[in-house]
Amino acid sequence: MVEPLLRLDNISHRFGAIEALRDVSFEIGRGEVVALLGDNGAGKSTLVKIISGGLAPTSGRLIYEGQDRLFASPAEAKAAGIETVYQDLSLCANVDVVANFFMGREIVRKYLGIPILQEREMEAVVASAMASAGTRIPSLRINVEHLSGGQRQAIELNRFVHWGGKLVLLDEPFAALGVEQTRRGLDMVKRIAAQGIGVIIITHIMAQAFQVADRIIILRRGEVAGNLPRAATSPEEAERLIIGEPIASQSPTTRPNGPQPS
Amino acid sequence: MNLATHRKTVEFVLDNLVWLMLIVVLAAFSATIPDFFQLGIFVNIIESSTFVGVMAIGLAIVIIAGNMDLSVESVAALTAMVTGILFSNRGIGLGYSFTPEWLVLPISLLLSLVVGGILGFTNGWLVVRLKMNAFIVTLASYIWVRGLVVAMSGGRSAQDLTPSLRVIGIETFGYIPLIAWIAIVSFAIFTFIMAKTPFGRHVTMIGGNAVATFRAGIAVDRLIVVTFVLAGAIAGMAGWLLAIRTSGATANLGVGMLFQAFAAVVIGGVSLKGGIGQLPGVYAGVLLLHTIQTAINLMGLPAHYTQVILGGLVLAAVLLDTVKHSIRLRLA
Repeated sequence: MVEPLLRLDNISHRFGAIEALRDVSFEIGRGEVVALLGDNGAGKSTLVKIISGGLAPTSGRLIYEGQDRLFASPAEAKAAGIETVYQDLSLCANVDVVANFFMGREIVRKYLGIPILQEREMEAVVASAMASAGTRIPSLRINVEHLSGGQRQAIELNRFVHWGGKLVLLDEPFAALGVEQTRRGLDMVKRIAAQGIGVIIITHIMAQAFQVADRIIILRRGEVAGNLPRAATSPEEAERLIIGEPIASQSPTTRPNGPQPS
Repeated sequence: MNLATHRKTVEFVLDNLVWLMLIVVLAAFSATIPDFFQLGIFVNIIESSTFVGVMAIGLAIVIIAGNMDLSVESVAALTAMVTGILFSNRGIGLGYSFTPEWLVLPISLLLSLVVGGILGFTNGWLVVRLKMNAFIVTLASYIWVRGLVVAMSGGRSAQDLTPSLRVIGIETFGYIPLIAWIAIVSFAIFTFIMAKTPFGRHVTMIGGNAVATFRAGIAVDRLIVVTFVLAGAIAGMAGWLLAIRTSGATANLGVGMLFQAFAAVVIGGVSLKGGIGQLPGVYAGVLLLHTIQTAINLMGLPAHYTQVILGGLVLAAVLLDTVKHSIRLRLA
């Protein structure tokens, strides 16, 4: 069996007396898109923080690329190739596309010991990265504030891929986007996954999850309430699992192909 | 494509508006005020722009990084007083000297940079480590450092600065006094640093979105402290120049400079929201202020009107900042 990119093994987290996550286990493979669904307070944010190094779990293990790892900080997770892309939190709108792409990793050459930015070199790198991802932006020298939400997201994702990202967590990535831009964003996610990168999308919008995800994972009250291949489930079933309707109503006929919950 | 060119033109005009204003004002004064159009007047404008100009460099960098430094004027007053007391021969001056005599030049400059830098570091440390509001921290410094200057001087003044220091206040190079060259060269150096080095790029990005830069692994806190240290050290140099120009120091030396520097920075196109602004524009802003001041002097208006006009200009500049912001939004 192919070793998964990331495996969560009985992750639990408590905030004092409140159990935010209880024995959460699932896997995500390279090139796989997983949609993480769940109502408010189901534990999605807590789980995202644990995966991306923002929070240490009370118990449980993270096995990343076959190694037992817990990231002490987002920076550590990022260095390992795991990153959360938040809407509008990772770009500086007051500088151009190239500056954003190279944020903190600028190409410099030292003259008399003084580091000088190599603008042309950086622009060439960004141009080729954008071209290979099929992203079109009017000018790489335009300030990001003039770009649309979709274009900004494309820059963030291209940047992530370019710098060796392996697993990206998208928290409500299309919340502020229009119909056309959302469609392009979903295409972008598929293209990224096609390059062998794992994608976890957290969303409230069922339609988006079903458009792009290979697998749907539903969290309810801190537990995995469902872990289903997209082809084997339906938005209706996912919705029921999110709200957690009584077991009695889940007659076998409503879910003919679904696997049995483990 | 056409739209892009249009946008570029508008952006260019917005970014360089202050130069346009400077040219228009210079032309208008030359045409209407007798005796305005002569070399001596222009040299005088450049020379008088030195102190506020140098001070404005550091202030601009701190504001571009998204903070505020109200202490620069008092820091300059302190280093002027330190220089005055140590190296003046009359009043409260102690008249220290070195052999060879010219050594006083680098030593006094270094001392001013260090004193200013330490005060800047204190400001920065309080802002970053204790998460105190920069406005309040530097307002406090503005007050206590000026108080220290008054206490140190005991209300008296230092006069007759050692000639080996005064030489750079007297000598000229190509009609322009050496101290004015120091301001011009400082602007050139820091313009280069802000535009071409990772430091300048990072400072600008921090002013735009501190969270994003932090997430990208940039040492945001450290860089913010560095901007405050720079502002302090540069203000220290402004005070050193001031002591040289006035050949000593008084307790109220440089009072009101903060607001001139602030006005120049805003008129020069630096946004108070952070992340936007270029240093050449700030220099143009300083020149613009002193052009207007010189014109007021020439016309024989009471000097008090300068302050009224200055206040009006600051208001106009902040208004302009807002208008520019909304024009940019409409362009997007």
